[in-house]
Amino acid sequence: MIDAKKIVNNQYLMNDLGILKRHLAKCYSIVQIQKDVDGENLWTEQFSDICEPLFGHDHLPLTSPKGFLFAEKEELYKFDGETFKTIVPQVQPKVLFGVQACDLSAIAYQDKFFKHDPYYQKRRENTLLIGIDCESPCANGFCVQVDAGPHVKDNTADLVLSRLNADEKKGSSEWLMIAQTEKGINSIKGLMLDKSENKHLKLRKKLLEKVRSEFADYSYISNAIEYLNDNSVPAQLWEELSVRCLGCSGCTNLCPTCSCYSTYEVVEKQPDTPVSISTEVKLEMTQSKTIRCWDSCLFQGFQKEASGHNPSQKAAQRVERFWFHKFSDEYLPEFQRYGCVGCGRCEQTCPGTIGVHSVMKRIDQQCCS
Amino acid sequence: MLQLTPQAMRIIDIYDDGTHARHFTFEPKGFVHDEPISIGQFFMLTLPGAGIAPFTYTSIPDKTGRFNALIRNVGHLTEQLFHLKIGDVLGYNGPFGRGWPVGLIEYKEVLIVAGGCGLAPLASTIDYLIDHSHAQSITLLYATRDSASQVLKKERARWSSNIKLFEVFEVGGGSDHSGLPTQHLSHLLNKDERYPDIVLTCGPEAMMIAVAQSCTELGLKTSDIWMSIERRMRCGVGLCGHCYVANSYACKQGPTYRYDEFMALESKTVAFEKHQNLFQYC
Repeated sequence: MIDAKKIVNNQYLMNDLGILKRHLAKCYSIVQIQKDVDGENLWTEQFSDICEPLFGHDHLPLTSPKGFLFAEKEELYKFDGETFKTIVPQVQPKVLFGVQACDLSAIAYQDKFFKHDPYYQKRRENTLLIGIDCESPCANGFCVQVDAGPHVKDNTADLVLSRLNADEKKGSSEWLMIAQTEKGINSIKGLMLDKSENKHLKLRKKLLEKVRSEFADYSYISNAIEYLNDNSVPAQLWEELSVRCLGCSGCTNLCPTCSCYSTYEVVEKQPDTPVSISTEVKLEMTQSKTIRCWDSCLFQGFQKEASGHNPSQKAAQRVERFWFHKFSDEYLPEFQRYGCVGCGRCEQTCPGTIGVHSVMKRIDQQCCS
Repeated sequence: MLQLTPQAMRIIDIYDDGTHARHFTFEPKGFVHDEPISIGQFFMLTLPGAGIAPFTYTSIPDKTGRFNALIRNVGHLTEQLFHLKIGDVLGYNGPFGRGWPVGLIEYKEVLIVAGGCGLAPLASTIDYLIDHSHAQSITLLYATRDSASQVLKKERARWSSNIKLFEVFEVGGGSDHSGLPTQHLSHLLNKDERYPDIVLTCGPEAMMIAVAQSCTELGLKTSDIWMSIERRMRCGVGLCGHCYVANSYACKQGPTYRYDEFMALESKTVAFEKHQNLFQYC
């Protein structure tokens, strides 16, 4: 969660977001959603001005920007044969330009989880977040149900962009920009901007109500959350659902709040000579690096111990675990919100069709009957 | 900020202690333990080129910072560890987690039920109580697969003159010493004799739960039973996510859990049928 000071009247109007981008590009490298060669929307570092930006208001990409803060794979420390040395991540200031409300809520969640993680925080300190209000519901999104969108939640972005009017003939738009943090205010210093008026904020609110009303009825999700928290979902249902889990980690990789990781070692140099047992001789030791990478609680071996004991031996236990972590009230005191931000990516990607909509629908149907 | 990078420590002594088990003495290399270490806490060991795993202090660090760990060779990392020699350097992070309830075990009748290598985190507890003149109040029930699987031979020899020690074997052993630890609990919880106020158990998870259930059936309160639930871990600081027990992490809220707390955590998720009969002694 961004620590917002009392910031008043830092709202502006803009017609050309290019001005903002070019200004920010002086101090930050720009990361935004772009189409890759296959036409997939992807968070991409922009190295030139050629790419036409896609804005987040109607383009939720399959992958969230999670990896820019909690790296998919990173070196933690190295061992030179005698001592361990931290490998500090080398990061340049970046701006994530046009992050949707759900992903911003997820970043706020991970900010709390990784509050004391030096690697995450190093990246986070060097990241400026520019949020964008969604203008319509996306295919699988249900952010309204879990209080994560569709408009950017307070104090989850440094700058918020909200499109107030679009003139399709001219191809131009009027944008409201709200600076929510000191970092946000500092980032736009030197830009000549028109101040917005109260009516513009009111219009944003009106647009929010409009988008909210366009969402389908996802009450089965709220119902299922209640059943999950009553612990009234029968073991049999988890067994049935888990048959469809391939343990592919698609859901956990795409989930913007999933944070589990594993570590592995890369040997850089093996001893050339047999290790001496004499402490008088300087020992020839293995030199290695310790690397962490995303892991998944749905992998069969996630909790398996060397003895063979596995506390989550059954796929049903692992599937239940995933949903417990996303929707249990037990996590509210720590995070003040659920671990699910309603992006629907798990539904989109799960090859066994046990993403959030499928699972919550089954729970609702079975538990209410 | 958390420090994930380990500090270096050196192996200064090694000796075999039971089947595939070895006793290591470590010495900090260029650092001092900057916080006191409680009995029952654990540390993370980084073996360069092999991996990271949690281990327990068999003895907590002395004035020089040296400490011991009893380690069984059961997995990839321990296999590599057993190739190391005196003088070799490893990584150390710790101490982590919540240890045994020191304040609750002094001046009480303490029953300790250990299974296999589960004796390791209880060894420092027994020594602590003996050192504080509470030896008379300790009963240790030590269960292993067979006599060859027993560990901490020297320590048990030392304790045997001070504390009440019962050793049982799943395979072999005379009629008084055969079977599972649970089969011997009714004898030890005989109300005619001194009855335990508190039970500490560490061993295979299925064993600890069976012991806790038996103790409860024999009249102990669930809040007087403590167990050490050590899990697979990659960090020790509540980040990697591996050691979850419902919404707690064994590395932070554990590894020592009170039985009633553990049951409350377990009840937050669905009770799936488990194969509780198999004690995977380690």
